Amino acid sequence: MSDTQEIIEIKFADHRGYVPIGSSVIREDALAKVTGQAEYSGDISRPGMLHGKVLMSPFPHALVKHIDTSKAARMQGVHAVLTAKDIPGENVFGIAIADQQVLADKKVRFVGEPVALVAAEDPFIAAEAVRSIKVEYEPLQGVFDPLAGIKEDAPRVQEQGNILLHTKVRKGDYLKGFADADVVVENVYRTHGQDHVPLEPEGGIAWIENDGVLTIYSSSQYVFRDRKQVARVLNLPVNRVRSVNTTVGGGFGRKDDVTVEILVSLLASATLKPVRLVYNRHESMMTQTHRHPTITRVRTGATKEGKLTSMEGVVYGDTGPYSSLGIFVIKKMALHLGGPYYFPNYKCDSISVYTNNPIAGAFRGFGIFQSAIVHEQQMDELAAKLGIDPLEFRLKNCLREGLSFSTGQVMNEACGIAATLERLKEYMAEHSLRFSRNMEVV
Amino acid sequence: MINNQKDVLMDLVINNKHISIRAGGGRCLLDFLREDLSLMGTKEGCGEGECGSCTVLLDGKAVLSCMTPMERAIGREVTTIEGVGRPGNLHPLQQAMMEEGGVQCGFCTPGMIMSGVELLNRKSNPNRDEIVEGISGNLCRCTGYRKIITAIERAAEKMS
Amino acid sequence: MKVRGIGIGSMVYGVGYGFSRPDFASAEVEIAPDGTVTIWSGASELGQGIRTVLSQIVAQEFGAAYEDIRVISADTDKTPDSGPVSASRSTYVQGNAVLAACKDLKQELISLASELMGVESNLVEIQNGQIAAKDKIGKIISFSKLASEMHVQGRRTHGFGWHNNRTLDVDKNTSQGDAYSSYAWASQLVEVEVDTQTGRVKILRLASATDVGKAINPQLIEGQIEGGAVQGLGFALMEEMQVEQGVFNNANLSTYLIPTAADVPPIDSLIVEVSDPSGPYGAKGMAEPATIPTTPAILNAIADAISKRVRYSLASPENVLKVLGKIDGSGKEGFLLLEDIPYPVA
Ligand code: FES
Ligand code: FES
Repeated sequence: MSDTQEIIEIKFADHRGYVPIGSSVIREDALAKVTGQAEYSGDISRPGMLHGKVLMSPFPHALVKHIDTSKAARMQGVHAVLTAKDIPGENVFGIAIADQQVLADKKVRFVGEPVALVAAEDPFIAAEAVRSIKVEYEPLQGVFDPLAGIKEDAPRVQEQGNILLHTKVRKGDYLKGFADADVVVENVYRTHGQDHVPLEPEGGIAWIENDGVLTIYSSSQYVFRDRKQVARVLNLPVNRVRSVNTTVGGGFGRKDDVTVEILVSLLASATLKPVRLVYNRHESMMTQTHRHPTITRVRTGATKEGKLTSMEGVVYGDTGPYSSLGIFVIKKMALHLGGPYYFPNYKCDSISVYTNNPIAGAFRGFGIFQSAIVHEQQMDELAAKLGIDPLEFRLKNCLREGLSFSTGQVMNEACGIAATLERLKEYMAEHSLRFSRNMEVV
Repeated sequence: MINNQKDVLMDLVINNKHISIRAGGGRCLLDFLREDLSLMGTKEGCGEGECGSCTVLLDGKAVLSCMTPMERAIGREVTTIEGVGRPGNLHPLQQAMMEEGGVQCGFCTPGMIMSGVELLNRKSNPNRDEIVEGISGNLCRCTGYRKIITAIERAAEKMS
Repeated sequence: MKVRGIGIGSMVYGVGYGFSRPDFASAEVEIAPDGTVTIWSGASELGQGIRTVLSQIVAQEFGAAYEDIRVISADTDKTPDSGPVSASRSTYVQGNAVLAACKDLKQELISLASELMGVESNLVEIQNGQIAAKDKIGKIISFSKLASEMHVQGRRTHGFGWHNNRTLDVDKNTSQGDAYSSYAWASQLVEVEVDTQTGRVKILRLASATDVGKAINPQLIEGQIEGGAVQGLGFALMEEMQVEQGVFNNANLSTYLIPTAADVPPIDSLIVEVSDPSGPYGAKGMAEPATIPTTPAILNAIADAISKRVRYSLASPENVLKVLGKIDGSGKEGFLLLEDIPYPVA
């Protein structure tokens, strides 16, 4: 071997592990998960741990006149019973805007809203203590539909009014676009609410470390925001709170905002003991966020050659009584209501409305899920009216490099919608699939 | 310690080990496994018999431990995910779940594997319909099930 | 009678937060003397596989073995802030931050390698899992050897990376502007069979063409596609929150049904890769795009089969029978008229 070819070390023995990007390596957490070793929020415990439980509102909209916790507080094994007045800092949280109360203060705004908290030595006692809390409510008229919520005389869900955000998208001249259209399709669409059902319900455990740091282990999508939100409610410096993520049993947007983190922290700091709180399925479904139900009216115009000319739409999103991410979910809808197609003219309004329905927030799809239900049916109806194949109609109108989105943003070379449609076209050919065969089978 | 039910003597075999302890009765088998034996691999996804994440084997038969009174396990044999296979000594189904991508968040995984193991014990070569039937009581919100079904097929091949 | 139909659903999804909202991620990497690497990442692992993806990125960048990478995630005492796991941004933004952290250390690696091999540093490259001199065949050094040398010589072994996904805000009154830095694209095809007697809809097949930019781990991508499609299928056919006067009446899993293994059709994951220069290796966000097209594709396929549209988004047997005129249609899908919903003024 010549000097110039001196090999410092041959790598081949070590080489076993090299896998290029694009390889389907086994997940690094797979082993822990198939053997049952992975620790989820409910699997963590600490010596002397107490169990938390939440009293939830049975009313969608009511004034809280009086809360009597005396019986619960006297029960054997109960270490703390907390209501809004026991909160050391601000009784508020919220992922986008802080408009949600941690524990109901003067009024409740949805069924399932937390009103009081209990920490007890076992879950049975905690449940019994929660049942023994007496709350005097004065039911109020509620808002159960966003269209009713925007009326002048509607009951106010939030003091500042029921419209959370009105987003406007204006591109080109939509009226001229409709004048240029040979066909127009106009419809109303309603989409329903969906529960994320992460298989692991929300849960967490908190305790105070020896050095005084409040420590929270929870099933979360973002520990740094959890920590900030906890600090504000507990009136602690942010760097005195530690938030740690456990293995998470599915999130899908549900665990983006705080779930139980503030609640376990309040109980841990009141009792100076570790407190764990894991929602059961029913509690999780009642008190956590969901997919926004929406109502959309839309009209879409095209020329007889099959070119889209204009779209006008309005979306009403039912965000429940607090924003969570409803401010951005519904905003995003306004931009995406036209879908992956080029519209020279576009007018869309989306209005996120407070109601007394279950809270809506981030859920995989984030408004585009609802938008696509609208724009894709519009596209099919237009294609049918024009007598054009639905896939060809999409290809004819889809965004491409150089064309602009509803916001006027010009697409670059990464614009991939045509490639996905072409791929489906190939797929249809490979499998001899055709539209509108009206094929009957017995 | 839990509730006011009387203590019972829990004398049974768990994961091939005989145990005999006094424990507060009147709870479900799931709580007994998790709270008294710290066998945390068995999960609670609903507590109402709808999701299958609490599946364990009782005398070799898959049962929902959240719906099974703990007393029913006395004198019998319980197998949980901890008894199926450990790192270095995995059950073929655990190995196949890893390789085929049958695991995402993993919360359904222990229950899913227990149902799969029971099926593979019953039938050495289950067809797709039988596999679907075998895990139809186990909910998974992440994977869409297809890779789990493939994993069970692969495990069956390996085991035969 | 049973009739079949085909339907398509397409979508565009603006990845990340957009509108100039903070959309950053940071990460740290450390090389141990035996050539193992630790990543500190603030991103939560929800089951999507971000820890695996980040490990693959580091393995690729350093030429280290995938098994030798360990990830410590989401602990405010230990990891840097990586922003939330949402908006399909993890691979895109956090992946870029990990790339930046690797880059931060790569200069150290390369200068040391160039000294050890006696070649100019611009001739050193990390390729196919090994560190080699570009023009001199045979000059190769393993990452683990280099790692140990770094420690012997007291070089910097800890790298930090920060990635800011900068976007612009839009005009308040018109929403015109470059709101997002990256867009994701997907189209799905569904074939259904509708039983016109019972209203039951059966999905016979589903094909999902998802543009992921670059599939860093195809199996994880397929997992997202399959799981996402089944969530969309659940929404279209069976999942409905029944809310009356603010009360969620079916808030339990015995009455709120989600798909089981028996509900799942054959799914063909068609991975499309139109590279995005702003993503790691060209990758785009894809977890949400995997679920969005399914419901509209199903609704369109039903319309293709029965020539009538279920305007309410739930195609339950009851709602299908209503649009077929087989049962009274005065339910919630027989609903709002256009004039109930005026367009706001321009
Ligand atoms: S926890 Fe037992 S079936 Fe869900
Ligand atoms: S992997 Fe998450 S529920 Fe199955």
